[in-house]
Amino acid sequence: MRPTARGARQQDNLASYFEEQEGQLALADGSRIGVIGGGPAGSFFAYFLFRMAESAGLHISVDIYEPRLFDRCGPAGCNHCGGVVSESLVQLLATEGINLPPTVVQRGIESYVLHTDVGQVQIETPLQEMRIAAVYRGNGPKQSEPVAIAGFDRHLLDLSATVGAKIVRKLVTGFDWNHGMPQIRTADGDMATYELLAVATGVNSQILEQLNSPAMDYQSPGTLRAFICEFHLGQATIRQWLGNSMHVFLLDIPRLEFAALIPKGDYATLCLLGEDVDEQLIESFLASDEVKACFPDTLVPTPACHCFPRINVRAAVRPFADRIVWVGDSGVNRLFKDGIGSAYRTAKAAARTAVFHGISKADFEKGFWPECRALIRDNRIARLIFGVTTLIQNLRFLRRGVLRMIAREQRDAGKNRLMSSVLWDVFTGSAPYKEILLRTFHPVFPLRLTWNLLAANLLRTERKGMKEGAR
Amino acid sequence: MNSGSLGKTYADGAIIVRQGDSGDCMFAIQKGQIEVVRRGKDGDVRVAVLEEGEIFGEMAIFEREARSATVRALGEVRVLTVDKKTFLRRVQEDPSLAFNLVRMMSRRIRRLSGEIAELQPGGVARSQDTLALTDAERRIERRNRTDRRVTKDRRSGGNRRRDAERRGAVAASPSPA
Amino acid sequence: MKSRIGNGVLERGARPQREHADMGVTPSSTALQQALVQPEQQLKAPPCSEACASGTDAREWIALIAQRGKLGLSNVNAYTQAWNMVAAVNPFPATLGRICPHPCEAACNRRDKDGAVSINALERFLGDWGLHRKLTLPMADRRSWSESVGVIGAGPAGLSFAYQMARRGYRVTVYEKQDKAGGMLYFGIPQYRLPEAVLGAEIQRILDLGVELRFNTAIGRDISVRQLRDLHDVVFIGIGAGAGIKLGIAGEEGAGVWSGTDFLSVLNRGGTLELGEQVVVVGGGNTAMDAARSARRTGAKVAVLYRRTRKEMPAIETEIDDALAEGVEIAYLVAPVAIEREGGKIRSVRIQRMELGAPDGSGRRKPIPIDGSEHDIPASAVIAAVSQEPDWEGLGEIRTGKIWIEAGSHGALGQGFWAGGDALGPGIAGLAIAQGRQAAEAVHRQLRGLPAQSNSTSAVAPRASAKPDRYPAMPRSTSPYKAVVARLAQPDMEVQQTIGETAFLDEVSRCFSCGSCFGCEQCFMFCNAGGFTKLQQVSPGRYFSLGLECCEACGKCIELCPCGYLTPRPRPGAREF
Ligand SMILES: Cc1cc2nc3c(=O)[nH]c(=O)nc-3n(C[C@H](O)[C@H](O)[C@H](O)COP(=O)(O)OP(=O)(O)OC[C@H]3O[C@@H](n4cnc5c(N)ncnc54)[C@H](O)[C@@H]3O)c2cc1C
Ligand SMILES: Cc1cc2nc3c(=O)[nH]c(=O)nc-3n(C[C@H](O)[C@H](O)[C@H](O)COP(=O)(O)OP(=O)(O)OC[C@H]3O[C@@H](n4cnc5c(N)ncnc54)[C@H](O)[C@@H]3O)c2cc1C
Ligand code: SF4
Ligand code: SF4
Ligand code: SF4
Repeated sequence: MRPTARGARQQDNLASYFEEQEGQLALADGSRIGVIGGGPAGSFFAYFLFRMAESAGLHISVDIYEPRLFDRCGPAGCNHCGGVVSESLVQLLATEGINLPPTVVQRGIESYVLHTDVGQVQIETPLQEMRIAAVYRGNGPKQSEPVAIAGFDRHLLDLSATVGAKIVRKLVTGFDWNHGMPQIRTADGDMATYELLAVATGVNSQILEQLNSPAMDYQSPGTLRAFICEFHLGQATIRQWLGNSMHVFLLDIPRLEFAALIPKGDYATLCLLGEDVDEQLIESFLASDEVKACFPDTLVPTPACHCFPRINVRAAVRPFADRIVWVGDSGVNRLFKDGIGSAYRTAKAAARTAVFHGISKADFEKGFWPECRALIRDNRIARLIFGVTTLIQNLRFLRRGVLRMIAREQRDAGKNRLMSSVLWDVFTGSAPYKEILLRTFHPVFPLRLTWNLLAANLLRTERKGMKEGAR
Repeated sequence: MNSGSLGKTYADGAIIVRQGDSGDCMFAIQKGQIEVVRRGKDGDVRVAVLEEGEIFGEMAIFEREARSATVRALGEVRVLTVDKKTFLRRVQEDPSLAFNLVRMMSRRIRRLSGEIAELQPGGVARSQDTLALTDAERRIERRNRTDRRVTKDRRSGGNRRRDAERRGAVAASPSPA
Repeated sequence: MKSRIGNGVLERGARPQREHADMGVTPSSTALQQALVQPEQQLKAPPCSEACASGTDAREWIALIAQRGKLGLSNVNAYTQAWNMVAAVNPFPATLGRICPHPCEAACNRRDKDGAVSINALERFLGDWGLHRKLTLPMADRRSWSESVGVIGAGPAGLSFAYQMARRGYRVTVYEKQDKAGGMLYFGIPQYRLPEAVLGAEIQRILDLGVELRFNTAIGRDISVRQLRDLHDVVFIGIGAGAGIKLGIAGEEGAGVWSGTDFLSVLNRGGTLELGEQVVVVGGGNTAMDAARSARRTGAKVAVLYRRTRKEMPAIETEIDDALAEGVEIAYLVAPVAIEREGGKIRSVRIQRMELGAPDGSGRRKPIPIDGSEHDIPASAVIAAVSQEPDWEGLGEIRTGKIWIEAGSHGALGQGFWAGGDALGPGIAGLAIAQGRQAAEAVHRQLRGLPAQSNSTSAVAPRASAKPDRYPAMPRSTSPYKAVVARLAQPDMEVQQTIGETAFLDEVSRCFSCGSCFGCEQCFMFCNAGGFTKLQQVSPGRYFSLGLECCEACGKCIELCPCGYLTPRPRPGAREF
C-alpha cells in the first residue's frame, strides 16, 4: 500500500469499522490466521499459537505462506545465517519440548576459539557439554550431498505443520485491507483475507517495502549487508583443524564488526558482520594470516556457496497494528546475536497476546511490545559492548591483555572465569547484553584486566626477544 | 558419536543425578531412556522410566531441596542440561515457558496417582513416599486420587496394572505389611 | 577428541605487518572471485517447442494464457490471442489437438515430475474454442501480389502451403483428385478420432481466405503438369503417400483383401464392406490400428499381426492401448505367408513365427522367420496395412525415379516446384503442416527478394532447464475418454472428449514456462541489492528489468528462478559496490 488517497480513505474506513467493533478484536473459534514467511519466526508463531489456542480451547486455522523449498541446496533453499542456535535457545526449546535431532544439528559446539594477531585462545563451556547447535538454515550449501541433512527451518516448519498449520507454498506479493481485515495476494494472483496476519518475512524480502504504509505506523527495520560463505573441508579436516569449536576473529580490519568460522558437517560456515561488508573487506579478511592459519596449507578454498544477507540492526517502528503483527527479523531483533532466539521470543509473545489478550493494536502494545522493548533496550547496551570489542580489535595492547586474562582463567580451573564468561556470552549471545555488562562491574574485573594488560604488554617484549633469539 | 549430537552422552548405568545431591539444573532427554530410582531402607526402587523428549530433575528448578531420586542411564542415553538460571531468567518474562513443564508434570502426577489407585492400601503410603512431591503437589495428588477411586471401575484397571508392572513399580512394591 | 587447538594461548611470535588496504588483490584469482556469480536474463528455447512437429511454440501460447492475470487479459482475450498465435503457424489446431501423437509432450520438462503438460489436450480445447467462436485465420500481410500459386493435393501439406501463401497475399488454387479435402486426415483417419465436421470447418476457414479448391481434378490425368506450370508461377506438390503397398503373398489377389488406406477410405466415405466374422490386419502402424479399430466397429473379431514386438511398433502408444481396450487382439512376432481361400472366399491366413535379429537400417531389430513355425489362423477378410507410398500415376515428369521426392531446403525442387508432406517420406500431419509452411515462407522470401529468415541462421538458443521441484505438484489432466461399450455401440462417436475449461486452465498453469520469465517475482522479492525492477509495461516473458550496477554477485536469483530464464554470466572482474 502506497501513501495514496485510497490509503487514507481506507484508514478512515478502518477507524469507523473498529469504532463499531470496539473491544471485540479477538480470536474466536474458527478464526483464520495468515503468516507470511515460514522461517523461524513464522514457524514459532504458528506453533505457539496452536499450542496456546489448544489450551484455551480455541479452534483456529493457520496458513503459513512460504515459497522457499528448504530441502533445496544452496541459497534458494536457505535463510542465510551463521546457523548458530544459541546455548540459551537450545535450552529453552528443550523446555518447550522442542528438541533438535542430529539430522538437524550439523555439529554440537562446545567451545570458542578466539583468534587475534597476538595469538589464539580457547574458551570452554563451563559444563563441557554440547549445548550450542550449528545448523543449516536450508539443505546445506550448493551441490552438497543433502543426505541426512535436515535444515533447521524445515524442521520447525514441519513442527508447525504437525500441530496443525497449513503450509502454502506461495510467494506473497501484495498486501491490502479488505473491510478492515488484512488481505494478501500471492504470485499466482490468488487473494486471501485473514482475521490476523503475522508478518515473519525477515529482512531479506522486498515485501517489507509494501508494508511501510501510512495506514499503519510500521516502518521496516534498518539493515546492514553481511556476508556468509561455506567452505567444503570434509569431516576429517574439520575435526582436525576446527574441532567442535566456533572460531571468532578479532582482527583489525576496518568496518569489520564480527567474524566467525563455524564448523558443520562437511562444511565450515564463515560469517562476516560489519559496517558495509563488501568484496574488499572480504578479500582482506580471507587474506589475513589468522584466517589462513585455520585451513590446511594456509589455503582458503573457493567457497562452495555464498550470499550477502541483510541483518536487522535497527528495530522496526511499531511492528504491530490492529490485526497485524511483525515477528522475528521483520520486527525487532537482538543486535548481531541469537537472531533465532529473538524470533522465538517475539513470535511467542505475539502468539500469547493474540490468544490470551486480543489482536487489536492496543492488545499488542500491552502484550507484545514489552518483549520487543526489552530487546531494543538491551540492544542499546549491545552497542556499547560491541564498541568495546571494536576497541579491542583496534588496539593491539588491549588484545594482548584480554587474551592473557582468558588464557589464565582457562588454565586455572578453580578461578572465577570473569573474562571468559563475558566473551562467551558476547559471542554465543546466550545472556542478555545487560547481564554481560553487569558482570564487568564485578570489582575484580577491572583490576584483573589492568594487571593482565600490564603483564601482557611488558613481559611480552622479553618473551618475544627470547623466541626470536631461539629461532 | 555423531558430531551433530547435542548434550552429553551417558553409558548404560551411569548416574546422571544422585539422590541427595543439590542441583541447579534439569535435564531433557535427547535420545535413549533413563530410570528414576529411589533409595529406601529396602534397597533401590525404580520409580519411573523416562524416554526421549521427556524432562527430569525439574524439581530442582522450583525448590531448593536436594535431589529426591537417583537417575541412571538405561542403555546409552543423551541428555541436555537446562540451567536453572536460563530457565528462571526467561520464565519471569514469559511465564508460559512453564506450560510444557506443568503439562508434563501433571501428566506424570496423573499417571502416578493412577498407579497408586491400583496399589494395595499398604502400598499407598510407600508410593506416596517415592513420589517425593512437594506439599502442594501432594494436595493435588490426593484430590486426584479420590477422583480416581470413583472412576476406577470404569477405567481399564488391567491395562494400568500391566503398565505399572512394566515400569517395575508394582513388582517392586513389598507385600502389604 | 584430539584437536589441533590446544588450551590456552598459542603465542605466534612476530608476524609480518598487516596490509589489507593495499593487498594487491588480483580479480578472478582469489577464492572469493571464483565464487561470485552474476545473472543474465536469457530467453531459451523450451524442449516442447523444439520437439513440436508442426513447429508451434507451445510455451508461447500456453504461457500467454497462464499469465493472463499478470497481463491484465480476460480469459476470452487470452484465448483469442493464444489461438491467433497457434493459427499463424498451424491452421488446424482442433484437428491436431485430436490426432497429433504429440512429440512435444514426450519432450516436456514436466514429464518426470508428475506427467507432461497435456499440450495436445490444450491445443484441442483452444482449437475447438476457435471454431466455436468462428475466429478467422490471421492474415500476415494486407497487400496482395500478382504471382499465382498452384497446389497439388488438398492434404495437410498442400492446405498449409495454400494457407500460408494466401495470408501473405497470393492467389492460390488447390487441385485435388478426390471429391473431399483433407487427404489422409479425411480418407485415412476414422471419424471416431477426427469428426468430419471439425476437419471440414478448419479447411473451410482456409478457403474463406480466398483459396480456390478444385475437386476431382487429378494432375497428370485431368490437367498435365506442364499445363499447371504454365498456369502458375509456383507449384507445390503435396500428393502424400496414398498408394498402399501389397503384402506380396499367395492368395492376395481376389475378394476380401484390401490395403489399409483403401479400406479406411471406403469406410470414411460412409461405405460398407463385407468383412465377415474374423478380420486379420497386417501391420503395426497407425493405419493398422485405425483399420483394426474400424473393423472392430463393424462387429467383427479383429486380429493384428505384427512382425516385431510392441516396443518396436510405430503406431501411437495410445492408439495401441485404445485398440486393445476395444477388444482388438494383437499377435506379435508373426507374419503372414499365404492367404488360403475356399471357393474364392478367404478361409484362413497361414502365418509364420519370427524372432528378432540384429538392428536394421531403421535401428529396430530385424525380424527373422523361424522355419517350421507355420500354422493357420481363421480369417474372413485381410487388411494389408503395412505401408504406403506416393501414387505417381500421371506424374512422371516430376518424378525423379525414386519412390520418395528428394527436395532441397524448405522443399525446393527448382524451376518453381516445391514439395512437402508425406510425398517426402512417411510422416505425421504436424510435419506435413510444418513443411507446407516452411515452403511457403521460402517461396515468399524468394518472390519478394527478402533476406533469409534470421532465426534459422542464428545459433540455437540454449535449451531451457527448468527446476521441476520449484513448482507445486499438480496432477495431469487430459482429454477424457468414452467407455468402450459406448464406443463400439456408436462407431462414429468420438472416443475422446475435449477437456472442460476449468481443467484447461488448471492444465495451462502446470506449464513451467521453461526458459522464459513468467513473472513469479522470486528474483525481485529476494534480491537484496534491488537488482530487479518491475516493468511498467509487461508482456509474456518480460516482467522485470535487471540492473547489474547494484548486483552483489550472490547468484541467489539464478538459483531461485524456477524456469531457467536467469543464467550465470561471466563476471567482468572485481568491482566495488
Ligand atoms: C550473516 C548473518 C548471520 C547470522 N547468524 C546467526 C546465528 O548464527 N544465529 C542466530 O540465531 N541468528 C543469526 N542470524 C540472524 C537470523 O538469521 C535471523 O534473525 C533469523 O533468520 C530471523 O528469522 P525470521 O523467521 O524472522 O526471518 P527469516 O529467517 O529471514 O525467514 C523469513 C522467511 O519468510 C519468507 N518470505 C519472505 N518474503 C516472503 C513473501 N513475500 N512471501 C512468502 N514468504 C516470504 C522467506 O522465504 C523466509 O523463509 C544471522 C543473520 C545474518 C544476516
Ligand atoms: C490411416 C492413417 C492414420 C494416420 N493417423 C495419423 C495420426 O493419428 N496423426 C498424425 O499426425 N498423422 C497420421 N497419419 C499420417 C498423416 O495423415 C499424414 O502424414 C498426412 O496426412 C500427410 O499429409 P500430406 O498432405 O502430405 O498427404 P495426404 O494427406 O496423403 O494428402 C495428399 C492429397 O493429395 C491428393 N493427391 C494425390 N495425388 C494427386 C494428384 N495427382 N492430383 C491431385 N491430387 C492428388 C490426395 O488425394 C490427397 O488428398 C495417418 C495416416 C494414415 C494413412
Ligand atoms: S513445461 Fe511447458 S514450456 Fe516446459 S516443456 Fe513442458 S510445455 Fe514446454
Ligand atoms: S540476487 Fe541480486 S545481487 Fe544476487 S546475483 Fe541476483 S541480481 Fe545480483
Ligand atoms: S525468478 Fe521468476 S520473475 Fe524472476 S526471472 Fe525467473 S521466472 Fe522471471
